[in-house]
Amino acid sequence: MTEPKTIALADSLDMTAAGPLHRELLEVRGQAVTLDGAAVRRLGGQCLQVLLAAETAWAADGQAFEIVNPSPEFADGLALLGAGHLAPPGFAAAPFVQD
Amino acid sequence: MDPLAAIRETFFQECEEQLAELESGLLAMEGGDRDPETINAVFRAVHSIKGGAGAFSLEALIRFAHVFETALDEMRSGRLAVTADVLKTMLRAADVLADLVRAAHDGAQGDDPRAAALADELKAMSGAAGEDDGGEEDWGDFEFKPQLVAFEAAPAPTGFLVRFKPRHDLYAKANEAALLLRELSRLGDAQVELDTEDLPPLGELDPEAAYLAWTVTLNGDTDETTIREVFEFVDGDCELEVTPIGGAPADPPAPDFDLSALLARVSDGAADDAPAGDFGAPAADGPAAEAPLADASVVELPLAANRPAPEPAAETQGLGGHRKSEAGATIRVDLERVDRLIDLVGELVINQAVLAQRVMEAGLARASAVAMGLDELEQLTREIQDSVMAIRAQPVKSVFQRMPRLVREVAAMTGKPVRLVTEGEGTEVDKTVIERLADPLTHMIRNAIDHGLESPEKRAAAGKPAEGVVRLAAMHRSGRIVIEVSDDGGGINRERVKSIAVERGLISAEAQLSDEEIDNLIFMAGFSTASEVSDISGRGVGMDVVRRSIQALGGRITINSKPGKGSTFTMSLPLTLAVLDGMVVSVEGQTLVAPITAIIETLQPKAEDVHSLGGHARVISIRGGFVPLIDVGMALGYRPEPLSATSGVALLIEGEGGARAALLVDAIQGQRQVVIKSLEANYRQVPGVAAATILGDGRVALILDIDTIVAVSRGELRKAG
Amino acid sequence: MSMTVLTVDDSRTMREMLRLALADAGFRVVQAEDGIHGLEVLQAEAPQVIVTDINMPRMDGFGFIEEVRGDPKHRAIPILVLTTESDAEKKNRARMAGATGWIVKPFNPVKLVDAIRRVAA
Repeated sequence: MTEPKTIALADSLDMTAAGPLHRELLEVRGQAVTLDGAAVRRLGGQCLQVLLAAETAWAADGQAFEIVNPSPEFADGLALLGAGHLAPPGFAAAPFVQD
Repeated sequence: MDPLAAIRETFFQECEEQLAELESGLLAMEGGDRDPETINAVFRAVHSIKGGAGAFSLEALIRFAHVFETALDEMRSGRLAVTADVLKTMLRAADVLADLVRAAHDGAQGDDPRAAALADELKAMSGAAGEDDGGEEDWGDFEFKPQLVAFEAAPAPTGFLVRFKPRHDLYAKANEAALLLRELSRLGDAQVELDTEDLPPLGELDPEAAYLAWTVTLNGDTDETTIREVFEFVDGDCELEVTPIGGAPADPPAPDFDLSALLARVSDGAADDAPAGDFGAPAADGPAAEAPLADASVVELPLAANRPAPEPAAETQGLGGHRKSEAGATIRVDLERVDRLIDLVGELVINQAVLAQRVMEAGLARASAVAMGLDELEQLTREIQDSVMAIRAQPVKSVFQRMPRLVREVAAMTGKPVRLVTEGEGTEVDKTVIERLADPLTHMIRNAIDHGLESPEKRAAAGKPAEGVVRLAAMHRSGRIVIEVSDDGGGINRERVKSIAVERGLISAEAQLSDEEIDNLIFMAGFSTASEVSDISGRGVGMDVVRRSIQALGGRITINSKPGKGSTFTMSLPLTLAVLDGMVVSVEGQTLVAPITAIIETLQPKAEDVHSLGGHARVISIRGGFVPLIDVGMALGYRPEPLSATSGVALLIEGEGGARAALLVDAIQGQRQVVIKSLEANYRQVPGVAAATILGDGRVALILDIDTIVAVSRGELRKAG
Repeated sequence: MSMTVLTVDDSRTMREMLRLALADAGFRVVQAEDGIHGLEVLQAEAPQVIVTDINMPRMDGFGFIEEVRGDPKHRAIPILVLTTESDAEKKNRARMAGATGWIVKPFNPVKLVDAIRRVAA
């Protein structure tokens, strides 16, 4: 299996970030992807929509979709929006990737 | 100077500028200037003076400026004709305003009689043109309607259920769902549930549209008005339902709440569209018995039983109906505390078993009072264990509700119309198990659509409806949770499966396999029909991974397929990860436990089937194939020389990646459920040992980590080979 | 890093009142005198929140809000309108233009700061 694509998430995942994030994800569709959440300072509902739809799309593809290094603000934001499962604390790679 | 005093000086300076602007504007209009910008400037001058006066609470100035502004607004909007008389009055009003400003600057109090008279003139002018607003600022328009205190005797709600779905406009106006949820969560103890029902597949998603909805269960000392205030700015830009839970509604659900109509409905027999229990009717028989109350597992609040007030929120019934009791009767507990309790109860179970064994050993009669008391204790202990396990149990709904999205996504990708049917969403299982169900389920559902269902054309040819059905069901069965994923597709193509297995060297071409055995080949590592079948699942993830995940949870997975009718995958999982079904074996006088889920069969090795590979490495032939024979005693360092294969018993196991091996042990003691005690928490991690348990006789037994044992032995095998 | 608030108001008094209340709450304040000036300041500064008056010369609050919402770079900035108007029509027009929320004048400094924190991350 090839190395997963890594996308560094923007610091402000507000409504203006949703479109670019969507495009960026569509471009790497079909490959395992790792989203680096270290820089994220805020998360809005529309970027969450994109992330959730991508999670499903990657699951449908049977590809790994992983959010790593979530900043505390990002992890809090996900939890606040009821989507804590996207970046479970202390959770490593998705168990579904075969080597 | 104090900053506020400085601003006050600024204000009076600015007033002079505005007054000059006002006067010159009115004079220009008197000279025939009808430029809208002129009258706008005049209006703004008075408006601005009023605004500043408001900041410093200069009441007389505010009152007059307001009346003046109203008249100017009438003129600006064309409702008040610009005549010479009107302009004269306006100019006089400007003079009065200037006097009032100066008086305020000097700190004068009280009303100017000239101002009152002129205010009346202005009011008469605007009153004649438009309606008289009474000259008072109607600040109340921004406030919420005063609360109807409808049911003063009713108990206050213990919380609220807030359902909130933003529309596109909400985001477009730079409001943000996350911030609203943050505000809401500050009002009390909030549990946020995300609803992704409307989220389309990624490819069809408009990144700036609004698809998500949230349901927040808010417990705490708050009220509906406070909750609605959080959403003040987004009123109309989102769907919002606020439903009280627990007590009776203290706030009317809607401004047009009609008490008499409601009372009529109540006396009408009530149960038509609302749970009878909500009306406090005795729930002995009739509609009350069939009312759609909560799941049996949910404890009704005693509070709700004799609640005097009816539930008025008919439109929110579906939402409030059963969650109300669920949330109202819930407390939140730190998971660590529950884990500690589960741990302690595990100890209690062990202790009780030890005690029972001692009593037996002491030779007390079965009918003795001690033995009988012990039986009761055992019964109670088991009940406590079950009850404690139930605390950590959660409905599988949280995982199930993520699947419709997946189905839509895969359906879109494959071009197969699919309907997902879910059953038993309320089935409960340990939280730790639920968290690890999502991945295997995702995989199986994707498989069911991609491999299970035929193309619409093929379905039509087979006389089936074009839309395929994938069913996801959960149920409890003999102390385990069973989850089924079935499709109404073509069933497993056994010819194809078998030839692939032969091709990949998984079975020999001569192997005689039953249908069931062939079906089970798809679980073998290295078996994947996907790359030939379609693009979706052909990326190196096979059903073997699913099986591994299920096994890691102490579960089993089986398949039942009927050609032309479809396939059903059945997963059977323990309700908790705190106990384990184990095979108890002896090795060199030690008692060990092997997880039963990993064991395929047990066998008595025959001398002719065992072949040495040099060193201590051996293989055993099972139905024409060779698997490594691993001496558990050697692997764990209990003995220096391997046990003769024929004097022991072999456990044929399947470890990670579907690798098979035979574990040689001295003897099998039997099967039993054991309480898992973590070794890492109490001691340290030991290679080859996953955890420990304490048996009824008080002996500590190690639980084997089968994957590690197999992996270590494989390495040795390679060295030997 | 403190939050930057852009205030747009033609009245010096109001601008000073706003500055006082906002600076007290620890915000950095930048000011503009009307809508057009507001758009200019927006190019130079990166406010997290905008507080704007409605009645202003040159470009009023409605026009200003519409301009900001149509600007790809700044459309995500929350905008609160300041208004002494209690009439629903002004409030609705401001919302139609894209206002995030509103503050009723004369404002209470605590409520002003509270409203800003409500709409800004």
